Amino acid sequence: MLHLLRIEWLKVKNYKAFWVFTILYSFAILGINYTGFYVNELAVQNMPASQMLLGTPYAFPKVWQTVGFMSSWLLYFPGILFIMLFTNEFNFKTHRQNIIDGWTRKEFVTVKFVFAIIFSAVATIFNFLVALLFGLITTGSHFSFAGIENVGYIFIQTVAYITFAMFLAILFRKSGAAIAVFFLYGLIFEWLITVLINFQMKLTPVGYFLPLQVTDVMLPIPFGDKVIYKGAPDPWILVVVSLAYIGAYYFFALKKFTKEDL
Amino acid sequence: MSVLTVENLSKSYGRIQALKNVSFSVPEGTIFGILGPNGSGKTTTLGTITDILKPTSGTYKLFDEPASAASRRKIGTLLETPNFYHYLSGVKNLEIAAEIKQHGKEDINRVLEMVDLTRRKDSKFSTYSLGMKQRLAIASCLLGSPSVLVFDEPTNGLDPVGIAEIRELMKRLYREGKTIIMASHLLDEVEKVCTHVAILKRGELITSGKVNEILSNEDIVELSAADNTKLFEVLKGMGNPSKVVDENAVIKIYFPVGTADLSAINNFCFNNGIILNHLILKKKSLEARFFELTNN
Repeated sequence: MLHLLRIEWLKVKNYKAFWVFTILYSFAILGINYTGFYVNELAVQNMPASQMLLGTPYAFPKVWQTVGFMSSWLLYFPGILFIMLFTNEFNFKTHRQNIIDGWTRKEFVTVKFVFAIIFSAVATIFNFLVALLFGLITTGSHFSFAGIENVGYIFIQTVAYITFAMFLAILFRKSGAAIAVFFLYGLIFEWLITVLINFQMKLTPVGYFLPLQVTDVMLPIPFGDKVIYKGAPDPWILVVVSLAYIGAYYFFALKKFTKEDL
Repeated sequence: MSVLTVENLSKSYGRIQALKNVSFSVPEGTIFGILGPNGSGKTTTLGTITDILKPTSGTYKLFDEPASAASRRKIGTLLETPNFYHYLSGVKNLEIAAEIKQHGKEDINRVLEMVDLTRRKDSKFSTYSLGMKQRLAIASCLLGSPSVLVFDEPTNGLDPVGIAEIRELMKRLYREGKTIIMASHLLDEVEKVCTHVAILKRGELITSGKVNEILSNEDIVELSAADNTKLFEVLKGMGNPSKVVDENAVIKIYFPVGTADLSAINNFCFNNGIILNHLILKKKSLEARFFELTNN
Protein backbone atom coordinates (compact mmCIF):
# COMPACT_ATOMS: atom_id res chain seq x y z
CA MET A 1 0.00 0.00 0.00
CA LEU A 2 2.87 2.36 0.82
CA HIS A 3 4.22 1.89 -2.69
CA LEU A 4 0.79 2.62 -4.19
CA LEU A 5 0.48 5.74 -2.06
CA ARG A 6 3.90 6.92 -3.18
CA ILE A 7 2.75 6.68 -6.79
CA GLU A 8 -0.51 8.48 -5.94
CA TRP A 9 1.56 11.21 -4.32
CA LEU A 10 3.67 11.55 -7.51
CA LYS A 11 0.45 12.28 -9.38
CA VAL A 12 -0.78 14.81 -6.83
CA LYS A 13 2.26 16.69 -5.61
CA ASN A 14 2.92 18.48 -8.91
CA TYR A 15 -0.74 19.19 -9.53
CA LYS A 16 -1.14 22.92 -8.98
CA ALA A 17 -4.88 22.74 -8.33
CA PHE A 18 -4.23 20.36 -5.43
CA TRP A 19 -2.13 22.95 -3.61
CA VAL A 20 -4.38 25.86 -4.54
CA PHE A 21 -7.43 24.03 -3.20
CA THR A 22 -5.65 22.80 -0.08
CA ILE A 23 -4.30 26.24 0.80
CA LEU A 24 -7.62 27.95 0.11
CA TYR A 25 -9.37 25.29 2.17
CA SER A 26 -7.00 25.83 5.11
CA PHE A 27 -7.42 29.60 5.02
CA ALA A 28 -11.17 29.19 4.68
CA ILE A 29 -11.31 27.00 7.81
CA LEU A 30 -9.40 29.67 9.72
CA GLY A 31 -11.48 32.42 8.16
CA ILE A 32 -14.93 30.98 8.72
CA ASN A 33 -14.13 30.20 12.35
CA TYR A 34 -12.61 33.61 12.91
CA THR A 35 -15.79 35.15 11.47
CA GLY A 36 -17.94 33.05 13.78
CA PHE A 37 -15.71 33.87 16.74
CA TYR A 38 -15.71 37.61 15.99
CA VAL A 39 -19.47 37.85 15.37
CA ASN A 40 -20.13 36.00 18.60
CA GLU A 41 -17.80 38.31 20.58
CA LEU A 42 -19.50 41.38 19.05
CA ALA A 43 -22.95 40.06 19.81
CA VAL A 44 -22.11 39.29 23.40
CA GLN A 45 -20.38 42.69 23.87
CA ASN A 46 -23.25 44.71 22.43
CA MET A 47 -26.08 42.60 23.77
CA PRO A 48 -24.97 40.59 26.79
CA ALA A 49 -28.38 38.94 26.90
CA SER A 50 -27.63 37.16 23.63
CA GLN A 51 -25.30 34.85 25.53
CA MET A 52 -28.40 33.20 26.96
CA LEU A 53 -29.24 31.99 23.47
CA LEU A 54 -25.79 31.51 21.94
CA GLY A 55 -23.96 30.07 24.92
CA THR A 56 -20.19 30.17 24.62
CA PRO A 57 -19.59 28.41 21.28
CA TYR A 58 -15.86 29.17 21.06
CA ALA A 59 -15.06 28.30 24.65
CA PHE A 60 -14.07 24.82 25.81
CA PRO A 61 -15.74 22.36 25.70
CA LYS A 62 -18.17 23.63 23.05
CA VAL A 63 -15.42 24.81 20.69
CA TRP A 64 -14.72 21.28 19.33
CA GLN A 65 -18.28 21.04 18.06
CA THR A 66 -18.46 24.67 16.91
CA VAL A 67 -15.33 24.42 14.77
CA GLY A 68 -16.58 21.12 13.35
CA PHE A 69 -19.92 22.66 12.48
CA MET A 70 -18.46 25.81 10.93
CA SER A 71 -15.82 23.94 8.93
CA SER A 72 -18.34 21.45 7.64
CA TRP A 73 -19.68 24.13 5.29
CA LEU A 74 -16.30 24.09 3.57
CA LEU A 75 -16.24 20.37 2.81
CA TYR A 76 -17.25 21.15 -0.77
CA PHE A 77 -13.64 22.32 -1.31
CA PRO A 78 -11.97 18.94 -0.78
CA GLY A 79 -15.00 17.31 -2.41
CA ILE A 80 -14.42 19.19 -5.66
CA LEU A 81 -10.69 18.57 -5.43
CA PHE A 82 -11.16 14.82 -5.19
CA ILE A 83 -13.74 14.86 -8.00
CA MET A 84 -11.08 16.56 -10.14
CA LEU A 85 -8.36 14.13 -9.11
CA PHE A 86 -10.59 11.24 -10.13
CA THR A 87 -12.06 12.66 -13.35
CA ASN A 88 -8.57 13.79 -14.45
CA GLU A 89 -7.72 10.11 -14.76
CA PHE A 90 -10.73 9.56 -17.00
CA ASN A 91 -9.93 12.66 -19.09
CA PHE A 92 -6.30 11.73 -19.56
CA LYS A 93 -7.19 8.00 -19.89
CA THR A 94 -4.48 7.41 -17.31
CA HIS A 95 -6.89 5.12 -15.46
CA ARG A 96 -6.38 2.82 -18.44
CA GLN A 97 -2.64 3.34 -18.60
CA ASN A 98 -2.17 2.61 -14.89
CA ILE A 99 -3.88 -0.77 -15.40
CA ILE A 100 -1.97 -1.44 -18.64
CA ASP A 101 1.30 -0.68 -16.88
CA GLY A 102 0.57 -3.18 -14.14
CA TRP A 103 -1.81 -2.02 -11.44
CA THR A 104 -4.86 -4.11 -10.71
CA ARG A 105 -8.18 -2.36 -11.02
CA LYS A 106 -8.72 -2.86 -7.30
CA GLU A 107 -5.41 -1.18 -6.47
CA PHE A 108 -6.38 1.84 -8.58
CA VAL A 109 -9.63 2.40 -6.65
CA THR A 110 -8.33 1.45 -3.22
CA VAL A 111 -5.36 3.82 -3.23
CA LYS A 112 -7.68 6.71 -4.13
CA PHE A 113 -9.86 5.94 -1.09
CA VAL A 114 -6.88 5.48 1.20
CA PHE A 115 -5.45 8.79 -0.01
CA ALA A 116 -8.82 10.44 0.72
CA ILE A 117 -8.71 9.06 4.26
CA ILE A 118 -5.18 10.35 4.79
CA PHE A 119 -6.16 13.76 3.44
CA SER A 120 -9.15 13.77 5.81
CA ALA A 121 -6.89 12.91 8.74
CA VAL A 122 -4.65 15.87 7.95
CA ALA A 123 -7.69 18.15 7.61
CA THR A 124 -8.95 16.87 10.96
CA ILE A 125 -5.64 17.64 12.65
CA PHE A 126 -5.81 21.15 11.22
CA ASN A 127 -9.36 21.56 12.54
CA PHE A 128 -8.17 20.33 15.93
CA LEU A 129 -5.45 22.99 15.99
CA VAL A 130 -7.90 25.69 14.92
CA ALA A 131 -10.33 24.65 17.68
CA LEU A 132 -7.47 24.66 20.18
CA LEU A 133 -6.45 28.15 19.08
CA PHE A 134 -9.93 29.67 19.34
CA GLY A 135 -10.65 27.83 22.59
CA LEU A 136 -7.53 29.29 24.13
CA ILE A 137 -8.08 32.89 22.99
CA THR A 138 -11.69 32.98 24.14
CA THR A 139 -11.85 34.93 27.38
CA GLY A 140 -12.87 32.92 30.41
CA SER A 141 -12.29 29.62 28.61
CA HIS A 142 -10.27 26.83 30.22
CA PHE A 143 -8.74 24.01 28.26
CA SER A 144 -10.73 20.81 28.40
CA PHE A 145 -10.83 17.55 26.49
CA ALA A 146 -14.56 17.28 27.13
CA GLY A 147 -16.37 17.01 23.81
CA ILE A 148 -13.20 15.84 22.06
CA GLU A 149 -15.29 13.13 20.34
CA ASN A 150 -16.39 15.93 18.03
CA VAL A 151 -12.92 15.86 16.49
CA GLY A 152 -13.57 12.22 15.64
CA TYR A 153 -16.86 13.29 14.05
CA ILE A 154 -15.01 15.89 11.97
CA PHE A 155 -12.81 13.10 10.63
CA ILE A 156 -15.75 10.84 9.77
CA GLN A 157 -17.66 13.70 8.17
CA THR A 158 -14.67 14.75 6.04
CA VAL A 159 -14.14 11.19 4.83
CA ALA A 160 -17.87 10.85 4.13
CA TYR A 161 -18.04 14.04 2.03
CA ILE A 162 -14.89 13.25 0.04
CA THR A 163 -15.78 9.62 -0.62
CA PHE A 164 -19.30 10.66 -1.61
CA ALA A 165 -17.73 13.10 -4.09
CA MET A 166 -15.45 10.37 -5.46
CA PHE A 167 -18.43 8.09 -5.80
CA LEU A 168 -20.11 10.77 -7.94
CA ALA A 169 -16.91 11.16 -9.96
CA ILE A 170 -16.78 7.47 -10.80
CA LEU A 171 -20.50 7.45 -11.53
CA PHE A 172 -20.50 10.42 -13.92
CA ARG A 173 -16.88 10.36 -15.14
CA LYS A 174 -17.13 14.05 -16.07
CA SER A 175 -16.04 16.64 -13.53
CA GLY A 176 -18.73 19.15 -14.52
CA ALA A 177 -21.59 16.72 -14.01
CA ALA A 178 -20.18 15.33 -10.77
CA ILE A 179 -19.52 18.78 -9.26
CA ALA A 180 -22.97 20.07 -10.26
CA VAL A 181 -24.73 17.09 -8.73
CA PHE A 182 -22.55 17.30 -5.61
CA PHE A 183 -23.51 20.95 -5.01
CA LEU A 184 -27.16 20.71 -5.94
CA TYR A 185 -27.70 17.58 -3.92
CA GLY A 186 -25.68 18.62 -0.88
CA LEU A 187 -26.83 22.21 -0.59
CA ILE A 188 -30.42 22.02 -1.80
CA PHE A 189 -31.98 18.67 -2.53
CA GLU A 190 -30.85 16.78 0.52
CA TRP A 191 -32.29 19.45 2.79
CA LEU A 192 -35.48 19.37 0.80
CA ILE A 193 -35.76 15.60 1.04
CA THR A 194 -34.98 15.67 4.77
CA VAL A 195 -37.69 18.24 5.38
CA LEU A 196 -40.16 16.30 3.24
CA ILE A 197 -39.48 13.01 5.00
CA ASN A 198 -39.27 14.35 8.53
CA PHE A 199 -41.93 17.03 8.59
CA GLN A 200 -44.19 16.52 5.62
CA MET A 201 -44.42 12.74 5.97
CA LYS A 202 -43.74 12.88 9.71
CA LEU A 203 -41.21 10.07 9.50
CA THR A 204 -38.57 11.59 11.84
CA PRO A 205 -35.77 10.57 12.18
CA VAL A 206 -35.66 8.75 8.79
CA GLY A 207 -34.74 11.99 6.99
CA TYR A 208 -31.62 12.33 9.12
CA PHE A 209 -30.14 9.22 7.57
CA LEU A 210 -29.47 10.65 4.10
CA PRO A 211 -25.81 10.31 3.01
CA LEU A 212 -24.50 13.78 3.84
CA GLN A 213 -27.21 14.75 6.30
CA VAL A 214 -26.32 11.94 8.66
CA THR A 215 -22.87 13.47 9.15
CA ASP A 216 -24.30 16.98 9.47
CA VAL A 217 -26.56 15.82 12.30
CA MET A 218 -23.47 14.37 13.98
CA LEU A 219 -21.97 17.88 14.19
CA PRO A 220 -25.05 20.07 14.68
CA ILE A 221 -25.20 23.84 15.04
CA PRO A 222 -23.83 24.56 18.55
CA PHE A 223 -26.94 26.41 19.74
CA GLY A 224 -30.58 25.65 19.11
CA ASP A 225 -29.72 22.20 17.78
CA LYS A 226 -32.39 20.60 19.92
CA VAL A 227 -34.94 22.61 17.92
CA ILE A 228 -33.36 22.30 14.48
CA TYR A 229 -32.51 18.62 14.75
CA LYS A 230 -35.52 17.61 16.80
CA GLY A 231 -35.66 13.88 17.39
CA ALA A 232 -32.13 13.23 16.11
CA PRO A 233 -30.79 9.73 16.80
CA ASP A 234 -27.93 9.03 19.22
CA PRO A 235 -24.47 9.98 17.93
CA TRP A 236 -23.24 6.39 17.90
CA ILE A 237 -26.04 5.43 15.50
CA LEU A 238 -25.06 8.34 13.25
CA VAL A 239 -21.43 7.19 13.36
CA VAL A 240 -22.35 3.64 12.40
CA VAL A 241 -24.56 4.81 9.54
CA SER A 242 -21.87 7.23 8.28
CA LEU A 243 -19.28 4.47 8.27
CA ALA A 244 -21.72 2.20 6.44
CA TYR A 245 -22.14 4.87 3.74
CA ILE A 246 -18.37 5.23 3.36
CA GLY A 247 -18.06 1.46 3.04
CA ALA A 248 -20.86 1.44 0.47
CA TYR A 249 -19.17 4.15 -1.66
CA TYR A 250 -15.98 2.10 -1.71
CA PHE A 251 -17.82 -1.10 -2.46
CA PHE A 252 -19.79 0.47 -5.28
CA ALA A 253 -16.76 2.19 -6.80
CA LEU A 254 -14.82 -1.05 -6.65
CA LYS A 255 -17.64 -3.02 -8.23
CA LYS A 256 -18.13 -0.51 -11.03
CA PHE A 257 -14.43 -0.17 -11.73
CA THR A 258 -13.60 -3.87 -11.68
CA LYS A 259 -16.54 -5.14 -13.71
CA GLU A 260 -16.84 -2.64 -16.55
CA ASP A 261 -14.80 -1.68 -19.58
CA LEU A 262 -12.47 1.19 -18.79
CA MET B 1 6.58 -20.60 -25.75
CA SER B 2 3.67 -18.46 -26.83
CA VAL B 3 3.81 -14.90 -25.63
CA LEU B 4 0.10 -14.47 -26.17
CA THR B 5 -2.62 -16.99 -26.84
CA VAL B 6 -6.13 -15.82 -27.65
CA GLU B 7 -8.89 -18.41 -27.64
CA ASN B 8 -12.39 -17.85 -29.04
CA LEU B 9 -12.39 -14.24 -27.95
CA SER B 10 -15.69 -12.41 -28.48
CA LYS B 11 -16.70 -8.93 -27.47
CA SER B 12 -20.03 -7.20 -28.02
CA TYR B 13 -21.06 -3.65 -27.39
CA GLY B 14 -24.80 -4.06 -27.17
CA ARG B 15 -25.80 -5.42 -30.55
CA ILE B 16 -22.50 -4.60 -32.21
CA GLN B 17 -20.11 -7.53 -32.22
CA ALA B 18 -16.63 -6.09 -32.20
CA LEU B 19 -14.89 -9.46 -32.00
CA LYS B 20 -16.24 -12.81 -33.11
CA ASN B 21 -14.52 -15.96 -31.87
CA VAL B 22 -11.03 -14.77 -32.57
CA SER B 23 -8.20 -17.23 -31.88
CA PHE B 24 -4.52 -16.89 -32.62
CA SER B 25 -1.23 -17.18 -30.88
CA VAL B 26 1.92 -15.09 -30.95
CA PRO B 27 5.18 -17.06 -30.95
CA GLU B 28 8.11 -15.71 -28.99
CA GLY B 29 10.66 -13.62 -30.88
CA THR B 30 8.41 -12.44 -33.69
CA ILE B 31 7.04 -9.12 -34.84
CA PHE B 32 3.39 -9.98 -34.92
CA GLY B 33 1.16 -7.62 -36.87
CA ILE B 34 -2.57 -7.37 -36.30
CA LEU B 35 -3.77 -5.97 -39.58
CA GLY B 36 -7.20 -4.75 -40.51
CA PRO B 37 -9.13 -1.71 -41.65
CA ASN B 38 -10.52 0.80 -39.16
CA GLY B 39 -13.12 -0.75 -36.90
CA SER B 40 -12.00 -4.30 -37.53
CA GLY B 41 -11.34 -5.04 -33.85
CA LYS B 42 -7.58 -4.50 -33.54
CA THR B 43 -7.71 -2.16 -30.55
CA THR B 44 -10.52 -4.22 -29.00
CA THR B 45 -8.25 -7.26 -29.14
CA LEU B 46 -5.34 -5.40 -27.55
CA GLY B 47 -7.64 -3.71 -25.00
CA THR B 48 -8.89 -7.10 -23.90
CA ILE B 49 -5.46 -8.63 -23.37
CA THR B 50 -4.42 -5.62 -21.27
CA ASP B 51 -7.51 -5.89 -19.03
CA ILE B 52 -8.97 -2.59 -20.20
CA LEU B 53 -11.95 -4.31 -21.79
CA LYS B 54 -13.82 -7.29 -20.44
CA PRO B 55 -14.42 -9.97 -23.10
CA THR B 56 -17.98 -11.19 -23.59
CA SER B 57 -16.60 -14.71 -23.94
CA GLY B 58 -13.33 -16.46 -24.60
CA THR B 59 -9.99 -16.50 -22.84
CA TYR B 60 -6.44 -15.29 -23.31
CA LYS B 61 -3.11 -16.18 -21.82
CA LEU B 62 0.10 -14.23 -21.45
CA PHE B 63 3.34 -16.22 -21.28
CA ASP B 64 1.25 -19.42 -21.27
CA GLU B 65 -0.38 -18.42 -18.00
CA PRO B 66 -3.67 -16.75 -17.12
CA ALA B 67 -3.06 -13.01 -17.41
CA SER B 68 -2.40 -10.94 -14.28
CA ALA B 69 -1.13 -7.52 -13.26
CA ALA B 70 2.30 -9.10 -12.83
CA SER B 71 2.34 -10.35 -16.42
CA ARG B 72 1.26 -6.89 -17.65
CA ARG B 73 4.26 -5.37 -15.88
CA LYS B 74 6.48 -7.49 -18.13
CA ILE B 75 4.92 -6.00 -21.27
CA GLY B 76 5.39 -2.47 -22.56
CA THR B 77 2.08 -1.37 -24.03
CA LEU B 78 0.96 1.61 -26.06
CA LEU B 79 -2.78 1.36 -26.56
CA GLU B 80 -4.63 3.66 -28.96
CA THR B 81 -3.41 7.05 -27.71
CA PRO B 82 -0.56 8.24 -25.48
CA ASN B 83 -2.14 8.45 -22.01
CA PHE B 84 -0.28 10.76 -19.67
CA TYR B 85 -0.92 13.38 -17.00
CA HIS B 86 -1.15 16.61 -18.96
CA TYR B 87 0.09 18.78 -16.11
CA LEU B 88 3.26 16.75 -15.55
CA SER B 89 6.50 16.86 -17.52
CA GLY B 90 7.57 13.99 -19.72
CA VAL B 91 10.10 12.77 -17.19
CA LYS B 92 7.64 12.97 -14.26
CA ASN B 93 5.13 10.96 -16.27
CA LEU B 94 7.75 8.31 -16.90
CA GLU B 95 8.55 8.23 -13.17
CA ILE B 96 4.95 7.24 -12.47
CA ALA B 97 4.99 4.59 -15.20
CA ALA B 98 8.32 3.24 -13.93
CA GLU B 99 6.99 3.02 -10.36
CA ILE B 100 3.87 1.15 -11.47
CA LYS B 101 5.98 -1.24 -13.52
CA GLN B 102 8.21 -1.56 -10.42
CA HIS B 103 11.38 -0.41 -12.15
CA GLY B 104 13.75 2.20 -10.86
CA LYS B 105 14.19 5.69 -12.25
CA GLU B 106 17.61 4.91 -13.71
CA ASP B 107 16.13 3.68 -16.98
CA ILE B 108 14.26 6.91 -17.75
CA ASN B 109 17.11 8.84 -19.35
CA ARG B 110 18.01 5.89 -21.56
CA VAL B 111 14.50 5.52 -23.00
CA LEU B 112 14.12 9.28 -23.49
CA GLU B 113 17.37 9.23 -25.42
CA MET B 114 16.13 6.32 -27.54
CA VAL B 115 13.11 8.30 -28.75
CA ASP B 116 15.03 11.57 -28.97
CA LEU B 117 13.05 13.44 -26.32
CA THR B 118 15.86 14.30 -23.91
CA ARG B 119 15.82 18.00 -24.77
CA ARG B 120 12.12 18.34 -23.96
CA LYS B 121 11.94 15.96 -21.01
CA ASP B 122 11.15 18.70 -18.50
CA SER B 123 8.40 20.33 -20.57
CA LYS B 124 4.84 19.65 -19.62
CA PHE B 125 3.15 16.86 -21.56
CA SER B 126 0.41 19.29 -22.63
CA THR B 127 2.97 21.32 -24.59
CA TYR B 128 4.12 18.32 -26.65
CA SER B 129 3.27 17.92 -30.32
CA LEU B 130 1.35 14.85 -31.41
CA GLY B 131 4.54 13.17 -32.58
CA MET B 132 6.33 13.91 -29.28
CA LYS B 133 3.42 12.48 -27.32
CA GLN B 134 3.62 9.34 -29.39
CA ARG B 135 7.37 9.12 -28.84
CA LEU B 136 6.94 9.58 -25.08
CA ALA B 137 4.43 6.72 -25.10
CA ILE B 138 6.94 4.53 -26.92
CA ALA B 139 9.62 5.54 -24.41
CA SER B 140 7.27 4.50 -21.61
CA CYS B 141 6.85 1.09 -23.26
CA LEU B 142 10.62 0.64 -23.32
CA LEU B 143 11.06 1.25 -19.58
CA GLY B 144 12.80 -1.70 -17.96
CA SER B 145 13.51 -3.34 -21.34
CA PRO B 146 10.47 -5.62 -21.36
CA SER B 147 10.72 -8.79 -23.45
CA VAL B 148 7.35 -8.11 -25.05
CA LEU B 149 6.08 -4.86 -26.54
CA VAL B 150 2.55 -4.09 -27.68
CA PHE B 151 2.14 -1.16 -30.05
CA ASP B 152 -1.22 0.02 -31.29
CA GLU B 153 -0.71 2.12 -34.44
CA PRO B 154 2.81 3.10 -33.32
CA THR B 155 3.54 5.45 -36.20
CA ASN B 156 0.33 7.43 -35.77
CA GLY B 157 0.97 11.15 -35.87
CA LEU B 158 4.66 10.84 -36.73
CA ASP B 159 6.32 12.56 -39.65
CA PRO B 160 8.11 10.46 -42.30
CA VAL B 161 11.43 10.66 -40.46
CA GLY B 162 9.74 9.65 -37.21
CA ILE B 163 7.97 6.76 -38.94
CA ALA B 164 11.24 5.48 -40.34
CA GLU B 165 12.89 5.81 -36.91
CA ILE B 166 10.16 3.87 -35.15
CA ARG B 167 10.22 1.12 -37.76
CA GLU B 168 13.97 0.92 -37.42
CA LEU B 169 13.58 0.79 -33.63
CA MET B 170 11.12 -2.09 -33.89
CA LYS B 171 13.44 -4.04 -36.14
CA ARG B 172 16.28 -3.40 -33.69
CA LEU B 173 14.17 -4.63 -30.77
CA TYR B 174 13.28 -7.70 -32.82
CA ARG B 175 16.96 -8.40 -33.49
CA GLU B 176 17.55 -8.12 -29.74
CA GLY B 177 15.13 -11.03 -29.36
CA LYS B 178 12.08 -9.15 -28.19
CA THR B 179 8.57 -10.02 -29.23
CA ILE B 180 6.55 -7.18 -30.70
CA ILE B 181 2.80 -7.22 -31.17
CA MET B 182 1.71 -4.39 -33.41
CA ALA B 183 -1.72 -3.33 -34.61
CA SER B 184 -1.85 -1.43 -37.85
CA HIS B 185 -4.23 -0.55 -40.64
CA LEU B 186 -1.28 0.08 -42.91
CA LEU B 187 -0.56 -2.96 -45.01
CA ASP B 188 2.70 -1.44 -46.14
CA GLU B 189 3.84 -1.09 -42.53
CA VAL B 190 3.02 -4.68 -41.66
CA GLU B 191 4.72 -5.92 -44.78
CA LYS B 192 7.85 -3.88 -44.07
CA VAL B 193 8.17 -4.63 -40.38
CA CYS B 194 6.35 -7.79 -39.33
CA THR B 195 7.32 -11.44 -39.49
CA HIS B 196 3.84 -12.74 -38.65
CA VAL B 197 0.39 -11.34 -39.22
CA ALA B 198 -3.23 -11.87 -38.23
CA ILE B 199 -5.78 -10.20 -40.46
CA LEU B 200 -9.02 -9.00 -38.93
CA LYS B 201 -12.13 -7.88 -40.70
CA ARG B 202 -15.28 -6.72 -38.93
CA GLY B 203 -14.26 -8.58 -35.81
CA GLU B 204 -13.47 -11.82 -37.53
CA LEU B 205 -10.07 -13.38 -38.00
CA ILE B 206 -9.56 -13.87 -41.73
CA THR B 207 -6.22 -15.56 -41.52
CA SER B 208 -3.01 -15.64 -39.51
CA GLY B 209 0.50 -16.89 -40.13
CA LYS B 210 3.84 -15.84 -41.54
CA VAL B 211 3.83 -12.60 -43.49
CA ASN B 212 5.73 -13.98 -46.48
CA GLU B 213 3.15 -16.74 -46.82
CA ILE B 214 0.04 -14.66 -46.36
CA LEU B 215 0.98 -11.41 -47.97
CA SER B 216 3.24 -12.87 -50.62
CA ASN B 217 3.38 -11.04 -53.90
CA GLU B 218 2.26 -13.27 -56.69
CA ASP B 219 2.93 -13.24 -60.40
CA ILE B 220 -0.21 -13.63 -62.44
CA VAL B 221 -0.16 -14.75 -66.02
CA GLU B 222 -3.25 -14.01 -68.03
CA LEU B 223 -3.83 -16.03 -71.18
CA SER B 224 -6.50 -17.25 -73.53
CA ALA B 225 -6.97 -19.36 -76.65
CA ALA B 226 -9.76 -20.21 -79.06
CA ASP B 227 -10.96 -22.96 -76.75
CA ASN B 228 -10.49 -21.80 -73.17
CA THR B 229 -12.10 -24.91 -71.68
CA LYS B 230 -9.50 -27.11 -73.28
CA LEU B 231 -6.76 -24.66 -72.35
CA PHE B 232 -7.89 -24.78 -68.71
CA GLU B 233 -7.72 -28.60 -68.66
CA VAL B 234 -4.26 -28.57 -70.21
CA LEU B 235 -2.92 -25.93 -67.82
CA LYS B 236 -4.03 -27.93 -64.80
CA GLY B 237 -1.51 -30.53 -65.91
CA MET B 238 1.31 -27.99 -65.75
CA GLY B 239 3.70 -28.47 -62.84
CA ASN B 240 4.66 -25.31 -60.99
CA PRO B 241 1.84 -22.72 -60.71
CA SER B 242 0.15 -22.28 -57.33
CA LYS B 243 -3.32 -21.97 -58.82
CA VAL B 244 -5.18 -21.79 -62.11
CA VAL B 245 -8.43 -19.88 -62.37
CA ASP B 246 -10.88 -19.89 -65.28
CA GLU B 247 -12.42 -16.46 -65.63
CA ASN B 248 -14.27 -17.26 -68.90
CA ALA B 249 -12.75 -14.57 -71.12
CA VAL B 250 -9.26 -15.23 -69.81
CA ILE B 251 -7.53 -17.81 -67.68
CA LYS B 252 -5.25 -16.69 -64.87
CA ILE B 253 -2.29 -18.64 -63.58
CA TYR B 254 -0.73 -17.67 -60.23
CA PHE B 255 2.97 -18.18 -59.63
CA PRO B 256 5.18 -17.50 -56.62
CA VAL B 257 7.06 -14.25 -57.13
CA GLY B 258 9.57 -14.36 -59.94
CA THR B 259 8.85 -17.89 -61.15
CA ALA B 260 6.56 -17.15 -64.08
CA ASP B 261 8.23 -17.92 -67.37
CA LEU B 262 6.13 -16.80 -70.32
CA SER B 263 8.09 -18.58 -73.01
CA ALA B 264 7.93 -21.85 -71.07
CA ILE B 265 4.14 -21.48 -70.78
CA ASN B 266 3.81 -20.69 -74.43
CA ASN B 267 5.94 -23.67 -75.32
CA PHE B 268 3.97 -25.96 -72.96
CA CYS B 269 0.66 -24.93 -74.53
CA PHE B 270 1.99 -25.29 -78.08
CA ASN B 271 3.30 -28.77 -77.32
CA ASN B 272 -0.17 -29.67 -76.03
CA GLY B 273 -1.80 -28.53 -79.24
CA ILE B 274 -3.05 -25.13 -78.13
CA ILE B 275 -2.19 -21.88 -79.79
CA LEU B 276 -2.48 -18.91 -77.48
CA ASN B 277 -4.01 -15.67 -78.68
CA HIS B 278 -3.32 -13.77 -75.48
CA LEU B 279 -0.43 -14.05 -73.02
CA ILE B 280 0.55 -11.38 -70.52
CA LEU B 281 2.36 -11.20 -67.16
CA LYS B 282 0.69 -9.13 -64.41
CA LYS B 283 2.25 -8.35 -61.06
CA LYS B 284 -0.22 -8.40 -58.23
CA SER B 285 0.03 -5.55 -55.80
CA LEU B 286 -0.08 -6.06 -52.04
CA GLU B 287 -3.02 -3.71 -51.86
CA ALA B 288 -4.96 -5.93 -54.23
CA ARG B 289 -4.09 -8.88 -52.03
CA PHE B 290 -5.22 -7.00 -48.94
CA PHE B 291 -8.51 -6.04 -50.54
CA GLU B 292 -8.98 -9.59 -51.66
CA LEU B 293 -8.49 -10.76 -48.08
CA THR B 294 -10.69 -8.17 -46.48
CA ASN B 295 -13.48 -7.87 -49.03
CA ASN B 296 -16.33 -10.31 -48.54
